[in-house]
Amino acid sequence: MSSKEDILKKYRANVREQFDMPDLSDIRAITYPDPLLQFMNMVKSVGGNAIEVDKGADINQLIKELYPDAKEIASNLPEITIATRNPDDVGRARDLNGTDVGIIRGMFGVAENGCVWIPQQMKEKAVCFISENLIILLDKSQIVNNMHEAYHRLSTRDPKSGLDLFDEYGYGTFISGPSKTADIAQVLVMGAQAARSATILLLPE
Amino acid sequence: MKIGLFIPCYVDAVYPEVGMATYKLLKHLGVDVTYPEKQTCCGQPMANAGFERQAIPLAEKFEEKFEAFDYVVAPSVSCTAFIKLNYSRLLNHECETAKRCMDVVEFLHDVVKVNQRLGTFPHKVSLHNSCHGVRELGLSSPSERHEKKFNKIKDLLQLVDGIDVVEPERPDECCGFGGMFSVEETAVSAQMGLDKIERHMQTGAEFITGPDCSCLMHMAGVAKKQGKKIEFKHVVEILAAGL
Amino acid sequence: MSTQHSKAAKQFLKNQQYAHWHDATFWAVRSKRDKMAYGLDEWEQLREKASAIKRHTITHLDEYLDQFATNAEKNGVEVHWAKDAKEFNEIVYGILKNHNVKKMVKSKSMLTEECEMNPYLESKGIEVVETDLGERIIQLKGQKPSHIVMPAIHLNHDDVGELFEEKGISNEKGNHDPTYLTYRARLSLRNEFLTADAGMTGGNFGIAETGDIVVCTNEGNADMSTSCPKLHIAAIGLEKIIPNYECLAVFQRMLCRAGTGQPTTTYTSHFRKARPTAHHMHIILVDNGRSEWIGDPEHWESLKCIRCGSCMNTCPVYRRSGGYSYSYFIPGPIGINLGMLRNPQAHSGNVSACTLCNSCQTVCPAKVNLGDQIYLWRQQLDSLGTANPEKKMMCKGMGMLYGSPGLYNFATGMAHFANLVPSPLLNCGLNPWAESHDMFKFPKKPFHEMIKEIEK
Repeated sequence: MSSKEDILKKYRANVREQFDMPDLSDIRAITYPDPLLQFMNMVKSVGGNAIEVDKGADINQLIKELYPDAKEIASNLPEITIATRNPDDVGRARDLNGTDVGIIRGMFGVAENGCVWIPQQMKEKAVCFISENLIILLDKSQIVNNMHEAYHRLSTRDPKSGLDLFDEYGYGTFISGPSKTADIAQVLVMGAQAARSATILLLPE
Repeated sequence: MKIGLFIPCYVDAVYPEVGMATYKLLKHLGVDVTYPEKQTCCGQPMANAGFERQAIPLAEKFEEKFEAFDYVVAPSVSCTAFIKLNYSRLLNHECETAKRCMDVVEFLHDVVKVNQRLGTFPHKVSLHNSCHGVRELGLSSPSERHEKKFNKIKDLLQLVDGIDVVEPERPDECCGFGGMFSVEETAVSAQMGLDKIERHMQTGAEFITGPDCSCLMHMAGVAKKQGKKIEFKHVVEILAAGL
Repeated sequence: MSTQHSKAAKQFLKNQQYAHWHDATFWAVRSKRDKMAYGLDEWEQLREKASAIKRHTITHLDEYLDQFATNAEKNGVEVHWAKDAKEFNEIVYGILKNHNVKKMVKSKSMLTEECEMNPYLESKGIEVVETDLGERIIQLKGQKPSHIVMPAIHLNHDDVGELFEEKGISNEKGNHDPTYLTYRARLSLRNEFLTADAGMTGGNFGIAETGDIVVCTNEGNADMSTSCPKLHIAAIGLEKIIPNYECLAVFQRMLCRAGTGQPTTTYTSHFRKARPTAHHMHIILVDNGRSEWIGDPEHWESLKCIRCGSCMNTCPVYRRSGGYSYSYFIPGPIGINLGMLRNPQAHSGNVSACTLCNSCQTVCPAKVNLGDQIYLWRQQLDSLGTANPEKKMMCKGMGMLYGSPGLYNFATGMAHFANLVPSPLLNCGLNPWAESHDMFKFPKKPFHEMIKEIEK
């Protein structure tokens, strides 16, 4: 017998009383009168930046102004013209090390915690983590209230959630602010193993 | 409504004045209260130590002695909680008598629904929310839970003339008695007791009061040993003060 | 009447400054949790749902495990099943050997700690690098974690500073600023991520409906561990599988709020298959006792645990004794219970490290009945052969005393003579109560005699 069969057999012999799945449709999850405002406040509170971008603004110029000293900029987004590296074209993931600014696309934001859903959209997802500074482009109309709504979009294959990318690459993540740790004497430090800063550029629809 | 008064072993032996205050207060409120003789113990000390089966004969005696009463009232949240939550399981049948056992605070608040002025106690008191009271009998809203704040002990104390009731920081953190814990984990128990006393004293109160003598006994012992100047009184003694 | 825990706790408390810092630090985390809980009107509802979802899932676990494995395999992931720690370690080694792995980076996994994987792999010549900063610190120090979420909390910034100087991670002697030290660790670990041949993660959740492994971190180290090396192994305990995304929402919202008082971890990552430029993704489902524990009528609910750590943070005993006082590698309320499931004889001593205050089960997001279970474990010690003989004798004595009203009345009538015992005698080593308490005085008359006079 394989270990799988062994384990399942043992489990079935031991399990006793069984319980039904509860109804989850009556969860009174928090909602906000202004989800975008809540989202922006939460991003700030977790150590990130959220900037509303005007219609017709030049994103590339804006990014250059945010990071004037950036030498290596990595992105595979067609609208980004200032990239010096492309995560689709690098030989190895480690070649992205030393990236000052990584620019990626988020599909929707979550107001309750400042998370942005980011399906993998490039050959090397390392760009999302290896970059010193992370910029996430997000359509500001795409904000949900809470994680129930977020996961509802994913499980019902909401068209604006990048599920085809998630299917293709088999990876997606919710990112809320920059990486952080409090492991040394409980002192909170921004910038642990991944991005040291995270900026969300909220784009007009 | 006939009430049977249950006086736990250590209240009987060490704090009889708490038993007397309970009796006096219930009588003052016109409650028909009887103290059946030959009581001993609810069995909690043995159960807490891992020998709950030794509580079975005590549970049988309890049921026998108190089954004719409408309620059994005791000035101890730990004993009441033990009886209420365990007797049916230990006796292997639904023990209605145990289910009708109430701590004196719950009884006064929920059954008698006391709304008149009680005793006189013109002092500042810091309220000790004993764990069994908070998390097993629902005398107050546990600080861990997101729910509407309430405190039955405080409600009753507010009926006492001249009193000023305050609560310490960490209002329902354990005092560290825990029965056998106090003699097995002596260092942690003492530290918890001392920390709790200091938080009570930081309120500026003259007295620490609570619904269980075991917590008060533990803290009083630690306070005296550490030279901490603060007095202890069971809630029911304050409610009955001067009556 | 002492245990390993009580002795260790006594030592812990000798350093009063440190002990107060430890207690205050964890109380602060508990307070942050409170703030999060009070901020969501649906908090108690979420706890109830989380408990109900887990009760359903772990009692239908064979179906969900099957569904999970099938879906993961459909995604091209290789799924392994490990009956026990030994098999788990061997499977991991087998995969690493096949891919000629010399160095593996890993993110935090209490499961790998449970299976003692690191020393096993190291004995086979494979370098394992912990990438969670706290885990990396204790790895370099050769220590075990003292908390499941904040493993290095027992060390202060000077301890870490000196360690980093010794290991060449820091290059500014005497600079023990946590921000500086974290940055130096970042540089060191960055190099490890770039040069590792494999990355291992744990799994906070496994989603049966899709075959996803979900990993929650603040540091981004699980994502770095799986973005650079070309091999990803995910290790997950059977009980971590949940049905679908609708359920995941409940747990994701509670995990970090309960454990660290944050609304979310920085990263909530879904791994469904290996990235295009990587070799493979492997998932190892680990039993190691879980299929047995489900059959324990009093303790199966410990399988609901999502390893958030909030029970430790709220436990007044843990806060004042520290993780190392416990004999099991997981401390605090859940550690007491899991230790007893793992090896009741070895870990019986922890069962008395509890006042039964029940704060733990009142914070637990999955409503594991931690305090109630500790009470129940106590009732089993006698039959396990680990009951303390002094306690047993005391209880026998109490049983006799309370069983006879005549004897009891006599004893309480005479009790006040104890007041005459001179203090030095009372305060001797044989009276543990007197170690930290002044003895109370017995009144002249017990209540049952006083009441007789009133009722006359």
